[in-house]
Amino acid sequence: MPSRLLWKSSRRYLTRHPWLMGLSVLGVALGVAVVVGIDLANTSADRAFQLSAQRLTGKATHQVVGAGEGLPASAYRRLRTEAGYRASAPVVAEYVQVLGAGRPFQLLGVDPFAEGPFRPYVGGGGAGDSAGVDLGAFMGGEHTALLAAPTARAMGEAPGDTLTVTVDGAPRTLRVAGLIEPRDERARRATRNLLVTDISTAQEVLGMGGPQGGQLTRIDLILPDGEQEEKRAKQRLQQALPPGAQVRRSDARTETVEQMTRAFSLNLSALSLLALVVGLFLIYNTMTFSVVQRRPLLGRLRALGVTRREVFTLVLGEAVLVGAVGTACGLALGMGLAQGLVRLVTRAINDLYFVVNVQEVAVSPWVLAKGAALGMGATLAAAFPPAREAARAKVSVVLQRSRAESAAQKWVPRLAWAGGGVAVLAGALLLAPSQSIWVGYAALFCALLAAALLAPALVVAIARALRPVMEKLFGVLGKMAARGLRQSLSRTGVAIAALMVAVAATVGVGVMTKSFRQTVESWLQYSLQSDVYVQPPSLVFRRSTATLAPGTADTLAGVKGVAGAHTVRRVEVASSAGPTQLVAIAPGPETRDTYRLKSGNAGAVWPRFRGGKKVVIVSEPYSYRTGVGVGDTLRLQTDRGRAGFHVGAVFFDYASDRGVVTMSRATYDRFYDDRRTSGVALHAVEGLSADSLAKRVRTAAPPGQKLVVQSSRGLREASLKIFDRTFAITNVLRLLAVVVAFIGVLSALMALQLERRRELAVMRAGGMTPGQVGGYVTLQTGLMGLTAGLLALPLGMALAYVLIFVINKRSFGWTLQLEASPGILLQAVFLALVAALLAGAYPAWKMARENPAEAMREG
Amino acid sequence: MKSSPPLARLPLLALFTAALLLVATAGCDRSASGPAATNESVAVASAMGGGDTTGYARATQPRPLAFPEDHGPHPGFKTEWWYLTGNLDAPGGRHLGYQFTIFRVATAPPDSGGSAGSNAPVQPASAASADTSTSRWGTRQFYMAHLAVSDVENERHYDFEQFARGAAGLAGAQAAPFRVWTSGWELVEQDATGDGDIFPLRVAAQAGGDSGETGGGSGEKSVTLDLRLTAAKQKVLQGERGLSQKGPGTGNASYYYSFTRLPTEGRVALGGDTLGVSGTSWMDREWSTSALGTEQEGWDWFALQLEGGRELMYYQLRKKSGAPSRFSEGVLVGPQGGVTRLSREDVTLDVRERWTSESGATYPAKWRLRVPSANLDLTVTPYFEDQVMSTSVRYWEGAVRVEGPAGSAAGSGYVELTGYGNAESGGEETVLP
Repeated sequence: MPSRLLWKSSRRYLTRHPWLMGLSVLGVALGVAVVVGIDLANTSADRAFQLSAQRLTGKATHQVVGAGEGLPASAYRRLRTEAGYRASAPVVAEYVQVLGAGRPFQLLGVDPFAEGPFRPYVGGGGAGDSAGVDLGAFMGGEHTALLAAPTARAMGEAPGDTLTVTVDGAPRTLRVAGLIEPRDERARRATRNLLVTDISTAQEVLGMGGPQGGQLTRIDLILPDGEQEEKRAKQRLQQALPPGAQVRRSDARTETVEQMTRAFSLNLSALSLLALVVGLFLIYNTMTFSVVQRRPLLGRLRALGVTRREVFTLVLGEAVLVGAVGTACGLALGMGLAQGLVRLVTRAINDLYFVVNVQEVAVSPWVLAKGAALGMGATLAAAFPPAREAARAKVSVVLQRSRAESAAQKWVPRLAWAGGGVAVLAGALLLAPSQSIWVGYAALFCALLAAALLAPALVVAIARALRPVMEKLFGVLGKMAARGLRQSLSRTGVAIAALMVAVAATVGVGVMTKSFRQTVESWLQYSLQSDVYVQPPSLVFRRSTATLAPGTADTLAGVKGVAGAHTVRRVEVASSAGPTQLVAIAPGPETRDTYRLKSGNAGAVWPRFRGGKKVVIVSEPYSYRTGVGVGDTLRLQTDRGRAGFHVGAVFFDYASDRGVVTMSRATYDRFYDDRRTSGVALHAVEGLSADSLAKRVRTAAPPGQKLVVQSSRGLREASLKIFDRTFAITNVLRLLAVVVAFIGVLSALMALQLERRRELAVMRAGGMTPGQVGGYVTLQTGLMGLTAGLLALPLGMALAYVLIFVINKRSFGWTLQLEASPGILLQAVFLALVAALLAGAYPAWKMARENPAEAMREG
Repeated sequence: MKSSPPLARLPLLALFTAALLLVATAGCDRSASGPAATNESVAVASAMGGGDTTGYARATQPRPLAFPEDHGPHPGFKTEWWYLTGNLDAPGGRHLGYQFTIFRVATAPPDSGGSAGSNAPVQPASAASADTSTSRWGTRQFYMAHLAVSDVENERHYDFEQFARGAAGLAGAQAAPFRVWTSGWELVEQDATGDGDIFPLRVAAQAGGDSGETGGGSGEKSVTLDLRLTAAKQKVLQGERGLSQKGPGTGNASYYYSFTRLPTEGRVALGGDTLGVSGTSWMDREWSTSALGTEQEGWDWFALQLEGGRELMYYQLRKKSGAPSRFSEGVLVGPQGGVTRLSREDVTLDVRERWTSESGATYPAKWRLRVPSANLDLTVTPYFEDQVMSTSVRYWEGAVRVEGPAGSAAGSGYVELTGYGNAESGGEETVLP
């Protein structure tokens, strides 16, 4: 019986406060939605990448890769004929842009005779039509390709039609020789963005042909099972391979590529949690309010024989209801949000790391379960303290509001002490010798919690300090408003803390972004000292390993008006510190100033560097990530076998979070057979503007080769555009956190003011005009906003500090200069104030219009 | 329409091409393909087996064969092979049979923008821009190789198959110095003089085990062949001065010559079991473009090395009716190398026993072969029955024992049987619709 009665009262309460409950639900929903959305976007990108890796790897267990880009095809011939190892297949693969498709495709060049065991999807379903490929044309150099049937249909292509692909900016045509009819869903996905050609076609299209059979991207292998057998096979293979080549597990590449984005996705996940944390305050606030408001009722219930346990269950049950509805909405919302977020995530990955096609959000039950658990967990955790408080309500004692408040006041110092403790913990976490990003975020969340715990004490202090000011400015109303803030601390404290956390988060993320941008901008300023930069179009902005057609660099250096030129070559090599991006530069006179050294002696390094000695300089992220520093020896896989290079300096670089190793072209040529260039930087003669030189270079470009020619200004702008694009998602997250916070403040203030109906009615009865009541409410909420804003500033700066010097350093390894513009700070205070005023508008309006008599009677 | 099984080696080759296409484009690995996959090749076979001979060279009339050139490849013809079989004796009275064949197949005529030679790179047909480097991988020639060893004592038959493109050094053939190879398997003139005499000839091939292939009957076992062949007799030109008419109509013929007695020494390794061997091999060289008439169903081919120094080659083409085709023919080589052509009428061939394979195909398993004009009355019996090639296209190719009247030992040889597959059960052979 009692329990039925209880639930009835509970239902009555919830239905009588639809706004409050609705906002709580919305807060939970948004928090969960952001977490789930980001998680889904991340996993979708991951899945898409794995799928594309799998479709390339097929059933290969191992692969042979060269020291740098690709390996000579003669290695394959030796492997097959001399070593007699036939479970091997040559692969030439690269991303190309397909005209009219609007997305990059993987061009996969294979030898049909070696393919059999490796990539079963290539031939598809065995349907008569698809199998009738003219092998003569396919292998005979006619540039034909196989395309998945669904893709062909979508593009309106049929066998016999011609496709145009662009490779490093040069157009090539491919005739559709046949269609691959995928057997199942898996095959359908695997083949969706695939162009399968013969290896001869791929070599010619990608410019990898050559007198000795040209270059291969790699050789796929199936090694026998069993440790002994595998080892024996490896040894046998190694003997047939050139010194630079390596046999490695075929998933090794997938792993390293996945590691590249690990920090990136981790940071997104952590930032998405921020929204949930803000949402958590919201729940806490609502549940606390509901308990405080029902205190008399709860007391009566206890008198009727309801046990503490039942009361506790009741409050928690309500939270479960709110949490469940909010979480369910959040999951649905998150799936929708993911559609938009996945595009941002994909674009960022494509800009920064590698080509990945994400065409759909992979809704994984695991992600949803995680989101649901987080939503419910957070709700229950936030509802726990109020539920306990409710259970403590004394039998039949109708507590006076004033007594409740004075009880709350008593808590203030204790909370402050706890906050201090958590703050110490945060500090300890920061100081702990760890490179873990999670530890960094743990510290960050501890800092937030500490600030929230300290908030009531600070609110009391600020309210006290502001009282005279308010009185001076707004008279007695102002004084009352300031005092009210302190007197209803149990509610205002939480609302202010929630707003403070949200605003601090925006300050922290904003300052971090701003500092990052500022740092990159100044780095671009000094590192882009040439006038014109030329490179082939690349699908990955920041990691271009595309190559210029042979001779292009010389042609461009000879353009009239060029005073000097230097070339850049970017390749991937293996090293003792893992896969490494190697940059070979042919230093011009200006090169030296374009590198700012973090450590190492410039005077000592450069002459040896330029002299073609075995010296490299490494970027700061590389040094951080691998632990390689000045004076160390870095062992790189070269075409002459493994070779040790002296690390002469560590330089600041923000181009790649994986880091780069830079050597002079002279050194590179000594150790690698590759003679290609990835880009050219040109210096204009005195008096010639960069833009006019760029114009000249464009006209001098060899026909058929599309070049991206940019003045240093253009390149700088393009780089910053990419930067802003990358941080678009961060800003979206920041915005979402603010929205959640705003809802929190709205609900907190509404609850607060609605609860004070009677108090306000008394004021009305005591002679206050409706306008004065409205002003009073507005003043008080404004004061709360201001307080939150002011408190958010130091907290925000602390967050920014952690984000910049701990999280960013640990995630990407670079040092950023902290730049706090007053603009951001003022903006934050303004934001808090406006949010609070907006939130207070409805209660103010409502209170002012209320009929005092009625309000007093009901209250 | 009733399926018509393949015929003899020529259409077999066409089928190989078709099966190969399947293997290549459908990407079935051997272990996964089996009969089901070969059945899928029907459509491919119809696409490829149509036998468009446009642009190819044809064997229309006898011509003087020129050496060393004709030891090498003839890319203008659609198909070609270097076909070795032999019977070998190992210590302890063990007897082994082996087959080692390298096939060359053209996917398109050489003048259709493709390569002239087997290893010459193909110029891109499309007008690619000038900076596109030419790939050495493009080709219109590919090679297929079959390797089989029959272990008589254990009645085990090991067979392997390999495909490779005739480019990038992966497979090829050259006349002087003579060498034919696919990945790791080769037939090479040992003294490398290039004088037209390809002997002594080395056969070297390793398959299975850690070479990464799986083969029929081998399990994890590897098979290695390392043999040295010399020629006891001159080459024999088959048919009319080397032109072997296989079907009605001009050009439905091949150029065909054989080395009928090749004393052989070397070693054969089965797994870890290495055997020193000696014996006699037989080499057939044949190239052509077009296949047989459609009324023919298959063939029984005999290459017998008789005691007393004679060799007999006879192929009997079977019509659908079961009757021997008039194009069946053979040759009897005397101890001094004298050659006697045998026509269908000179030879009587009776099947005495039959054997049904696991997959349900029934093969002849004992013959009585008589050549009255040469006073030959031979009983030919497989050393053991299951010598079916489980390669992309199934056929029976096995070592045989030859006995004279009253069971007297008369020699050894090799027999090839095609067209015995049961089309309806989808078992034994790849079929043309």
